[in-house]
Amino acid sequence: MRFRSLWTLTGAFLLAFLVATMATGFAIHGITLQTIERLVDRRILVVSDAIAGVPGDRRPADVFRRIDAAMRERDTGDIGLLLVDANGRRLGGNIALTRRLPLGFSTIARDDRIAGLSAGRALVRTIDGGMTLTTVAETEPFDDYNAARTRIYLIGFGSIVLIVVGGMVFFVVTIGRRIGETRRTVEAIIDGDMTRRVPIHRSGGEFAQQAMAFNRMLDRISNLMASISNVSNDIAHDLRTPLARLRSQLALTRRRADSPAQRDDLEAAIAMSDDLLAMFAAMLRIAEVEGGDQRAAFARLDLAALADQIATMMQPVVADSGRTLDIAALSPLPIVGDRQLLGQAMVNLLENAIRHTPVGTRIAIGVVATDTATILTVTDEGPGISADQRKLALRRFGRLDASRHDVGHGLGLALIDAIVRLHRGTLSLEDACPGLRVLISLPRD
Amino acid sequence: MSLNLLLVEDDAVFAQAMAEELRGLDHHVTVAIDGREALAAVDSAPFDAVVLDRMLPKVDGMSVLQRLRDGNMTVPVIMLTALGRSVEKVEGLEAGADDYVVKPVAAAELSARLAAIVRGRGWTGSSADTIRAGDIVVSPTRFRAWRDGTAIDLGKLEFKLLAEFVANADTVMTRAMLVERVWGYEFAPTTNIVDVYVRHLRVKLTAAGGEDPIVTVRGVGYMMRG
Repeated sequence: MRFRSLWTLTGAFLLAFLVATMATGFAIHGITLQTIERLVDRRILVVSDAIAGVPGDRRPADVFRRIDAAMRERDTGDIGLLLVDANGRRLGGNIALTRRLPLGFSTIARDDRIAGLSAGRALVRTIDGGMTLTTVAETEPFDDYNAARTRIYLIGFGSIVLIVVGGMVFFVVTIGRRIGETRRTVEAIIDGDMTRRVPIHRSGGEFAQQAMAFNRMLDRISNLMASISNVSNDIAHDLRTPLARLRSQLALTRRRADSPAQRDDLEAAIAMSDDLLAMFAAMLRIAEVEGGDQRAAFARLDLAALADQIATMMQPVVADSGRTLDIAALSPLPIVGDRQLLGQAMVNLLENAIRHTPVGTRIAIGVVATDTATILTVTDEGPGISADQRKLALRRFGRLDASRHDVGHGLGLALIDAIVRLHRGTLSLEDACPGLRVLISLPRD
Repeated sequence: MSLNLLLVEDDAVFAQAMAEELRGLDHHVTVAIDGREALAAVDSAPFDAVVLDRMLPKVDGMSVLQRLRDGNMTVPVIMLTALGRSVEKVEGLEAGADDYVVKPVAAAELSARLAAIVRGRGWTGSSADTIRAGDIVVSPTRFRAWRDGTAIDLGKLEFKLLAEFVANADTVMTRAMLVERVWGYEFAPTTNIVDVYVRHLRVKLTAAGGEDPIVTVRGVGYMMRG
């Protein structure tokens, strides 16, 4: 059996505890009653034997005398005795019975209406001449002792159970609250708030120490992130500035160039530096998306409407390239996300579909909802990507052999992947038989 | 359109190259190499627009902008910077920049943006609900357009594109400017989306005859004749 939560673990423990406590209670109660019964049985047997006497000493007169003696003796004064003849007529004794008791040992209770007796044992035996001797003794030191004992058990064990249950509930709630505090901090951090920390209680116990260690770890991560962010900002400035300088120098040289041939060469060099800058911009954009700050700008939007809007916008571009774009009829699918980024992801997917398929290819965009996810698909009927190449396609700078000489910098899918991960979704590639299907699966809240 | 520009840039090579290119595009350019010099220049002479680097020695670009705006100096400012993250753009625009351009940028692109801003300032928005360029009339409130009195049937994006052209008639609009203003996306498109839409728009504008009102400015963008 697996315990999935603190509460099931506690529940199982409490159940086991209750069963053990109750079993102990019942066992003690049962054994006590049994022991008392055996002792009482032995006592009434002894008294009964003494009164019945040995064969030959059993004339009614002797028996009466012994009954009288027993009733007077201090040791046996509390014993109930009754002697009846073969016809059930009472011959002597100190009690009366409302029913005929069976021969041998039996249990009697308040219902038998023996004065001063609430629970006891009886021994019925026959003596020579058809006489029947009944010996009765109490099994309780005082009236209703058993009921009192049950009450004592209930109160005693009950209070133990209450204390344990209360303690466990308190324990579980306390642990749950501390875990909850940590979890809320973790969630806030996942959502991009690196300033959140786990509250530390003054108790200074295990939890406080754990929280302090956790917070120290977060401080460290936050410092590392800040320095990485500084590094990338420095790269942005330090690398972009000389590149910008190079580009303007080239542009200036082109202006001053004498011959058209030189101008063309310099034009090509400027185009190369632009490609380099575009790749660089894409890397910085990915870093920006991966930074996670953008989640703060998430808003409710209709993914189907957005897909429709992007598809409508891209339709002329796709048509212009000699391909066709099908838009599946879409019903509203509300999600929480960044409209700009998701739009960019869709545009990039459609651009990829145009870039990597032959003229005349059909491309389709659609959005569907399952119980757990909202899935955007872009499908083309082009050459597709073989199973072993799909992983490579998702890698940063991962360009497939077939497209190595095409335009592009191999960061398109990496950027889409970063956008999808920002939305806590997954990006996957499938064989569309024929062609490629790209799936963006976003979890539903 | 010839503008009197102040170029604030601490990188001498970049500043010189950009200044020469802008001069080649008929502008008058004064270069300031740090924030303090920039503030002094703005105080001493009127400029049509300022191109402001964000990372500057002495007084940084954001502070220069802040002081200009605090001093009620409404001179148009384009921030030109290596810091291209969305939050940084928003910061720049919220501080009062009229445009925010990430380095590097072609002089022609910068010139087009400067011209659009300076002209945009002059254009009052007009109290009438239609705007006009040549024989083309656009009603942004009614989402309708006419050429020579004949209604033109346009898609939503085609309409926005035409309205942008008409509102900025005689000003060169670069592809990046059109993407930002018409499509409302801040990312650079790698497709020829602007060219495709302009081509469609041209077909519709000339369907009933008449000269093509949109001029292609090679290597820069498009311009509508006023």
